[in-house]
Amino acid sequence: MDNWVIALIKVVFIWTWTLLIATLMTWVERRGSAMMQDRLGPNRAGPFGLFQPLADGIKLFTKEDIIPEKAHKILFSLGPILFALPAFSAYAVIPFGDKLIVNGKEIILQVADVNVGFLYVVALGAMAVYGIVLGGWGSNNKYSILGGLRSTAQLISYEVPFGLSLLAVVLVYGTFSLREISLVQQGTFLGFLPNWGIFKQPLGFILFIVTAYAEANRVPFDLPEAESEIVAGYHTEYGSMRLGLYLFGEYVNMYTLAALMVTLYFGAWHLPYIDMSKFLGPVSYGIASFLVFFLKTAFFLWLFVWVRWTVPRFRYDQVMGLGWKALIPLALVNLFITALCIQLTV
Amino acid sequence: MAKPVVKKEYTFLERIYLWEIVKGLKLTFKHFTFNFKESLKKGPHTVPTCWQYPEDRRPIAPVFRGAHMLCLDDEGRELCVGCGMCARACPAKCITVKRGKPAEGEEGKYAGKTMSAEFTIDMLRCIFCGFCEEACPKGAIQLGQEYELAEYTMDACIYDKERLLANFQKAKAEGKLKPPKKPVPVAGGDKKAGAKKVAKKPVATDGKKSKKAASKPQAEEKKASETKREET
Repeated sequence: MDNWVIALIKVVFIWTWTLLIATLMTWVERRGSAMMQDRLGPNRAGPFGLFQPLADGIKLFTKEDIIPEKAHKILFSLGPILFALPAFSAYAVIPFGDKLIVNGKEIILQVADVNVGFLYVVALGAMAVYGIVLGGWGSNNKYSILGGLRSTAQLISYEVPFGLSLLAVVLVYGTFSLREISLVQQGTFLGFLPNWGIFKQPLGFILFIVTAYAEANRVPFDLPEAESEIVAGYHTEYGSMRLGLYLFGEYVNMYTLAALMVTLYFGAWHLPYIDMSKFLGPVSYGIASFLVFFLKTAFFLWLFVWVRWTVPRFRYDQVMGLGWKALIPLALVNLFITALCIQLTV
Repeated sequence: MAKPVVKKEYTFLERIYLWEIVKGLKLTFKHFTFNFKESLKKGPHTVPTCWQYPEDRRPIAPVFRGAHMLCLDDEGRELCVGCGMCARACPAKCITVKRGKPAEGEEGKYAGKTMSAEFTIDMLRCIFCGFCEEACPKGAIQLGQEYELAEYTMDACIYDKERLLANFQKAKAEGKLKPPKKPVPVAGGDKKAGAKKVAKKPVATDGKKSKKAASKPQAEEKKASETKREET
């Protein structure tokens, strides 16, 4: 019974936390982009405009829910749900801290330590594309269909290097469990570097981050919703909270991917050279590990925003070219080298 | 002839994108940190590219054509004689003037022998061309500095005489009256007078300095204009 309560608390906590961060990210995105473009951004609602996401949410909730007459009713309403649901559930297997010891009971700061955690994340990431494609198809609008089709074409060109770069990580750590991977990254590598995944998989990290941007439909790979080309892509016909789910799912996706980057390549909750568990109490260590993990994630979230307002969008064929002609060969080479090194050292 | 297409040879660093992206990130970050710092500063208009309108207001040229006002002379007499020149000049036909005679005992209120019994300007139609100002033989109607002219009803946008006079009082109280018009140079006439005034204007050399430099002579001109008005 106790375990159930703890599990429930963890689920509720990480759910609200993810929602909070996603909400906050909309604000960070808008104000950050404004600052980069010599503007100010929304700064009226609340201090520094912090209540802007709240106002946006109220607006989206109270707007009229329109389903176009010629749209496929079922697919149209299924699209946003199919997009947001995997995004919200993907975080379940990613840790958000080490562990908390309360009353002699060890609480792992992770909703579920699944031993195929990796595959779960990848599978759910691929699922989200159905939401885009079905939404695009169901809208019965040529821009929406184009957006959906672009999404599929993009999927097959980035999902392969995405999986291959993750496979190299699995080769290095010998496990699919994200918690075990995080635990191994304590200490130093080669005597002077932090024992982080990025130093073992530098090429793998670059491949991963590039494909992660494609996975999250972010610039420079935001082809499915390219505003300047196909109006708004797959969510052209959407409004009110259905659109809200799409936009929100995107930010939740970003948070999940950023957390995945930190878990795999940036030592999860470990600080370089310092072992926090040695000089912190059990409870404060849990909180500290959570904060360290979150700060690292926050940087990658910021990087998502930063890159978005720096890089222009790739052309449709350029994404295909990049995926098939550059990323997949590089991922294969990376996998081969990794396998070779492990074969020689073990 | 068509412009020949020059194919650019990209270097290896440019072809792998990543280094170029890092360079781009550096540039955007520079802008971000600069604007971030500026936006945290206290005071109005800290971010140089941004004017946050209700708080920050751009300086307005003294010859700005805003809301109209009916001017009084220095003795507080209405200058308008109700001749209707402005209504004739108005291309939008937004001015209605009716000439009238001042009532007995009220002659002191008006500068001329006649006055405008009715003077309304339909601000919904006005295009702020300033022709009325040019046409007025007495310098009675002027376009002031006010530009926030939105109202809740259409009726409120039709300015009557009281409103126009009040505009003048307000502008006078805020010291926003227009400088007197420069004499229009006539061909073969006194060119020197015009040339002198042009030469007086300071030449702005530096971007930052010019603001300060420009504002001073303006203030001086204003003062001069006020004294001139008193003399006449």
